Amino acid sequence: MKEAFIIVGFLEITLAIFMQWQIYLKKIVTTFSISSYAISIFLAVDGIVLNNTNLLVLSALTAVIRGFFIPHFIRKKLNKECYLEREIKAIIPVAASIVVSLVFVVASYIVYHSTLYSFINIPGGSIPIALLFQGIFLIISRNNAFVQLVGYMVAENSLFLFGGYLFPELPFIIEGGILLDLIGVVMISGIIMKLREENVSSIVDEFEEFKG
Amino acid sequence: MIYTYLLFTLLILASLSCFAAKEKSATLITLFSSFVSIILSLIIWLSSTISTNFLYIDPISKIMLIVTAVIYTTTSLFSVSYFKHIKKPLLKQNLYWAFLNLFVLSMFFSVIAANLGLLWVGIEATTITSALLVAIDNNYPSIEASWRYIIIVSVGLIVSLVGIVFIYAQAHTLDIAYMIQNHQDKNRLILIGSAMAIIGFGTKAGIFPMHTWLPDVHGRSIAPISAIFSSVLLPSALFGIIRISQIAPFGQIKHFMFALGLLSVVFASIFMVNQKYYKRLFAYSSIENMGVILIGLSLGKTGLLGSIVLLISHAFAKSSAFYLTGNILSVYKTRKISDVNMLVKNMPYTAYGLILTSLAVTGAPPFATFVGEFLIIAAVYKIYGFAYFSILLLSLLVAFLSVNYKISRMSFLDGKAMQNNSCDMISAAVPLINTALAFAVLFAIPAINKILSGVLL
Repeated sequence: MKEAFIIVGFLEITLAIFMQWQIYLKKIVTTFSISSYAISIFLAVDGIVLNNTNLLVLSALTAVIRGFFIPHFIRKKLNKECYLEREIKAIIPVAASIVVSLVFVVASYIVYHSTLYSFINIPGGSIPIALLFQGIFLIISRNNAFVQLVGYMVAENSLFLFGGYLFPELPFIIEGGILLDLIGVVMISGIIMKLREENVSSIVDEFEEFKG
Repeated sequence: MIYTYLLFTLLILASLSCFAAKEKSATLITLFSSFVSIILSLIIWLSSTISTNFLYIDPISKIMLIVTAVIYTTTSLFSVSYFKHIKKPLLKQNLYWAFLNLFVLSMFFSVIAANLGLLWVGIEATTITSALLVAIDNNYPSIEASWRYIIIVSVGLIVSLVGIVFIYAQAHTLDIAYMIQNHQDKNRLILIGSAMAIIGFGTKAGIFPMHTWLPDVHGRSIAPISAIFSSVLLPSALFGIIRISQIAPFGQIKHFMFALGLLSVVFASIFMVNQKYYKRLFAYSSIENMGVILIGLSLGKTGLLGSIVLLISHAFAKSSAFYLTGNILSVYKTRKISDVNMLVKNMPYTAYGLILTSLAVTGAPPFATFVGEFLIIAAVYKIYGFAYFSILLLSLLVAFLSVNYKISRMSFLDGKAMQNNSCDMISAAVPLINTALAFAVLFAIPAINKILSGVLL
């Protein structure tokens, strides 16, 4: 399974970098959906190899909730608000964000090998750490709330990859709870994002308070 | 144990029935549920430590349960009168009560969870249940504050989840009671895991440098929500840090907590000096107080007692302060300090209440916050020496002067008389009750000291 873990991990990082250079929101959401299905397949194969029912259930939940339901929910929102389809301006230019993403991959490798490698002795252990950084960077580098939400879910994906592979015996109730929490976060975020778009304010005074 | 399940059943039923009930019924259900929750949490206080597969209720959990139940009750009471000031609320009143009940339920769940993973789920659930409450004012700044809250806190909690996975990798269990009793070997994995968990829970507790959501949310949400956030949500997140420090009671972790706490106090006090908005002023005061509590937790023994005393008295005092800011906002229609004056003439009860609560939240005698801060400062001097003691003392002095000068200015500076300056009896009485409780905590200190004697930290 080590080789499979590295392949899926590499795919996840590639997809996260692909999200960095995308400006069409639907493509970002579809990419996230693909990355979730990839994790789901990996967990399923891992579950079969280890004969672990929890991993199989987790794989099914990942496919249904993260692969299908959440992307479908976001796409539905995007369809109603066609002007949201394309992000107008990112905080960090696309080219720079790709370079930063690659730097994160290298930095994760160095951090992992200098700190955790002696305890978590697997070759691809830096992959989930890199993915976590990618997710957080996606949130920081973009203005659009939908992309920020996808960034948050990419960061969570890294945990599923990490937890699912390294600690398949992690109590299922924890991972199940995390998935349920994620549904809650996405639903509430959906409402807040809709309100945010409807209430866009041009009154500068209203933001004055947020300084300091 | 049965009373704990009763408490949860009560909150679940209250939440579900509020979704279906009409506004008036939902109000009555919530008030009933909040009063009964105080009784149940007092009964739980009297029982011995509970440790099962799902529940771990130690003395600190019991204290958190009581404080949460009392603030839940006063917030519900204050909300009854405050809701009429909201022009176009985001949620109908029954939904407001339903989410408030769910929010309190998730905080109760966090402090009694027997498993570190479930504790994380509980703290993350507080974000989901409270995000819409933050945006209840239904204007762009409150919605923006709510979004910042969701995204910043959720990312912070992801970091803490990675930390919890690292802890699991070392301990091969997430059972809190087991891990407290059987200390883990000190190695890099558990240290990194614990530090990440502290950073994540610290984000939710408003600890520097991950505090950025806090002033926005406290500044723009309605007064009762600001109150319950500052007085029990932040301590619930700190409770996660307490658990981590119990599991990994290592010197490096204590120093890390001390550094984060001290930075929070210094940073918050600097930002208070130039603060133009009174709600944000109290928000930074919350960051400062959480920083002091974190310092106390890192010191153990006397510091721990100081932290718990400060946590309880701060909860009562700060909720009172935010209720009073709600009264001021409803009359003056502004959050700017410079636009509020002559409070003692326009709103005498509110003015004197605010002066007292400002003294309480900044640690002035005779409030229990003074005793809490004193114990912590003394412990800092003893353990870290004069230099850190001076930095902490100076920062607290700056915070004290900033808050009290600005509040005095609002209260006594001459200005225009307000025509419509009355607030109803509940709005006036609830803050006074909480201010009195912030003082009454003094008499509970021996009992707190006794109950904390067996706590490992």
